[in-house]
Amino acid sequence: MRTFHIKFCEKKKIFFGISLAILVIGVICNIFLGTKLDIQFTGGAVIRYSYNGTIQQEDVEQIVKDASGKDVSVRIHEDMSTVNDPTQANNSVSISFAGTDSISLDQQQSIATALDEKYPDANFEVVESNSVNPTMGQSFLLKCAIAVLIAFVLLLIYVGFRFRKIGGVTAGLMSIVALLHDVLIVYFVFVAFQMPINDSFMAVVLTILGYSLNNTIIIYDRIRENRRLMGPKTSYADLVDTSINQTLTRSIYTSLTTFVAIAAVFVVGSIYGLTSVTTFALPMMVGIVAGCYSSVCIAGPLYVAWEERKEKKSAPAASVENN
Amino acid sequence: MKRVGKPVFFIVALLILVFTYTSLFGVHGQNGDNTITYIKGASDIRWGIDINGGVEATFSPDTEGVKATEDQLNSAKAIIELRMVNQNITDYELYVDYNQDHIIVRFPWKNDETTFDPEAAIEELSATAMLTFREGNEYATQETDADGNPVYKTPTGTTADTVILEGSDVKKAEAQMIQDPTTGATEYEVGLELSDEGAQKFAEATERLQGQIISIWMDDVMISYPTVNAVISDGKCSITGGFTAAEASDLANKINAGALPFKLVTTNFSTVSPTLGASALNAMEIAGIIGFILVCLIMLIVYRLPGFVAIIALLGQIGLCFAAVSGYFPFLNSFTMTLPGIAGIILSIGMGVDANVITATRIKEEVNSGKTLDGAIQKGNANSFWAIFDGNITTIMVALILMMVFGPTNILSWIFGPLRRVLSIPLVTRCWLATSATSSWASVLPA
Repeated sequence: MRTFHIKFCEKKKIFFGISLAILVIGVICNIFLGTKLDIQFTGGAVIRYSYNGTIQQEDVEQIVKDASGKDVSVRIHEDMSTVNDPTQANNSVSISFAGTDSISLDQQQSIATALDEKYPDANFEVVESNSVNPTMGQSFLLKCAIAVLIAFVLLLIYVGFRFRKIGGVTAGLMSIVALLHDVLIVYFVFVAFQMPINDSFMAVVLTILGYSLNNTIIIYDRIRENRRLMGPKTSYADLVDTSINQTLTRSIYTSLTTFVAIAAVFVVGSIYGLTSVTTFALPMMVGIVAGCYSSVCIAGPLYVAWEERKEKKSAPAASVENN
Repeated sequence: MKRVGKPVFFIVALLILVFTYTSLFGVHGQNGDNTITYIKGASDIRWGIDINGGVEATFSPDTEGVKATEDQLNSAKAIIELRMVNQNITDYELYVDYNQDHIIVRFPWKNDETTFDPEAAIEELSATAMLTFREGNEYATQETDADGNPVYKTPTGTTADTVILEGSDVKKAEAQMIQDPTTGATEYEVGLELSDEGAQKFAEATERLQGQIISIWMDDVMISYPTVNAVISDGKCSITGGFTAAEASDLANKINAGALPFKLVTTNFSTVSPTLGASALNAMEIAGIIGFILVCLIMLIVYRLPGFVAIIALLGQIGLCFAAVSGYFPFLNSFTMTLPGIAGIILSIGMGVDANVITATRIKEEVNSGKTLDGAIQKGNANSFWAIFDGNITTIMVALILMMVFGPTNILSWIFGPLRRVLSIPLVTRCWLATSATSSWASVLPA
C-alpha cells in the first residue's frame, strides 16, 4: 500500500493561502453580485403558469399589474426542444411580485381570470406558486441560524470532551474554524451561481457540517492514537503529519465515493432540468471537496500552529520557574 | 479472535439481500383482484407534494395581534379537517404549531382530478365557519369518508328552511365527563352554553320540538342530530349519545369553531403541478442507480474482496433507508418522501461505505506491517472502531439538533425529516454492519 509523506505542517502557509485566496474571491463576488435571499426567508410571491401559443411579456406584465395592484416582473421560458412543433411546446411564464408581501388568494384568482380574458386560447395553468408572509420568512431564517449555532456549540463540547487528551478545546476550536471555512465556501457557491439562499442552502450547510466534522474527527482520532504510540516527546508537527498521512487514503476514498454519488444526482438532475435538485447537488459537491480539503489541510496544521505557539509562550515562563 | 466460519458470512449476506429486496420491492399477495400488501416497499412510500404535485398552505387565526389560545387553534384544526373530508381530500397532512399560531396543511393533487382549483380549495378551507342548528335532519346526499363512516350533506326540506340557532348564538361548547347516577358508569357528553338571545330562541324551539330532532350543521355537513328530551330555557344544555372522550371533544371543537369570531388568514400558500414532479422521481431513480454502480466500482477496484463485502453492507443500509420511510416496520410510521430526501439517500450511498473504507484501510496497513491476516483483521477492527464511533455520533448530533430546533411540525422538518432519518439510521447501524461484515470476510478468503 502506498503511504504518503506529505509535510502538511511545513506547507501550512500554502494551504492557508489557497483557502484565504478562495475566501477573498468569494467576498469580492459577494460585493459585486450581492446575496439573493429566497422568498422563503424574505417573504414575497412567485407564480409560474404554463401556457400554449405565444404571449407578449409587456402585455402579461400590464395585466398582472392591473389585476393585483403590484409591480411585477415577468419572465417567459420558451421550451426550445419543441420549437418545430409549437402545439407540443412546454412554455411557462414566471411572475415575481415586487416587495416582500405575500399575495392573497383573491389576487391570485383575479390574475388568472384577467389572463384568461386576454388570452382565451393560451390555457394558463398554475405550474408552481409560492406566497410567503414576511414575518414567517424571518422567523424561518432565525430558526435556521439558531440551528447552525447550536450545532457549532454542541460539536465543540463533544470534540472537547472526546479529545481532551490532545487538548480537546483547541482541537474543537480548530475543527470549528475548518467548518466555518466550509460553510463560507458553500455560501460563496450560492453567491457565485446567483442561486437564492433557501432551504436547500440550509440542508447543504448542515449536511456538510456533519460530513466535514466526521472527516476532521477521523484525523483527530488518529492523532489521539499516535500520541499514545509515539509518546509525549514527539513534536506536534510530526505527530499531526503522520496522522494526516495515515488517514489520507481514507479521506480521499470516502470523499470520492460521496462526491461520485452526488455528482450522479447533479448530472441527471441537469439533464432533466430539475432546479430543485441541482441547486442542492452543486453546492453539495463543492462542499464535499471543501470539507475534505479543510479537514486535511486546515484543521490539522492549524491545531499544530496553535499548540506550538502555546508551547513557545509557556517555555520562557517554565524556565523562569526552574531558576 | 475466533475466526467466524464461512457459513456465517453467507448467512449474513443472504439475510441482508433478502431484507434489502423486500424493503425495495415489498411483499404483495394477490387475492382475487385485490393486491394485498404484506410488507411495504419503495412503491408504497408516500411522495411529497414536490414529486406528486399538490398544495401547501399555512393558516393563522386572525385574532388581531392577540395570541390564539390552544382551544381556538384546536377548533380551527377541527374545522379544516371536516372541510377536507367534505372536499373528498383524504390523503392530507395537518399540523398545528401552537407557539407560532400556525396551522399547516398539505395535500396532494387528486389523481383523477384534472380541473382541480387549488385556490378555491384553500379559500374554502379557510372560510369563516358557518354553524347552524336546524329543525329535523333531512339531507340531500350521503357519502362515506375514509374511515367508512357516513357523511350527510346539504340540508333539504324543513331542515333547510328552519334555522334555529347560528354560530353567534353559541357561547361555548365543552366536552364533559359525567357519571350515570344509577349505574355508576362514566359517560362523555358535550355541554353547550348559549348567549341570552340564543337561549331564548332555543327555549322556544325545544318547546315546539319535544321528542323531535334538532340537527347541528357545519357549513354543508351535518355533524350531530340529537333528539330534544326537555325544554331548555336557561341556555345550558348537553348533547349525549354514547360518545367516546375523543368524539365528544371533536364535536365540541367543531361547535366552538362555529362560535368563535375569528377567521383564518392564509399566510403562506404554494402549489406544485403534478407534471413538474413526475419526471423528477424518474430522474432521481436513474441518478441513484448510477451513483450506486459507480460507488460499487470504486470499492471493487480499490479494495477487491473487502470492497465486495462493503457493497453488501451498503445494500443493507439502502434497504434500511427505504424501510425507515416506507413503513416496512409496523412500529415506524411511514414518512413523506421529498426530492431532497431522495438526494439524501443517494448521498448516504456515498457516505455509507466510509466505515468500510476506514476498517479496510486499517486492515491493509496491519497486513503491510507484517501481521498475519487474522491478527490484522482483529487489530484493524479494534483500531477503527472509535474513529467510526466518534465520527457518527457527531453526525447524529447534527440530525438531532435539526429535530429539536425545528420541531416536528415545521415546514423545514418536512424537508429534513426524510433526510434526517435517512442519514441517521444507517449511521447507527453502519458501525455494526461494518464490523460484522469485515470480521466475517476473513472466512471467505482462502485460509
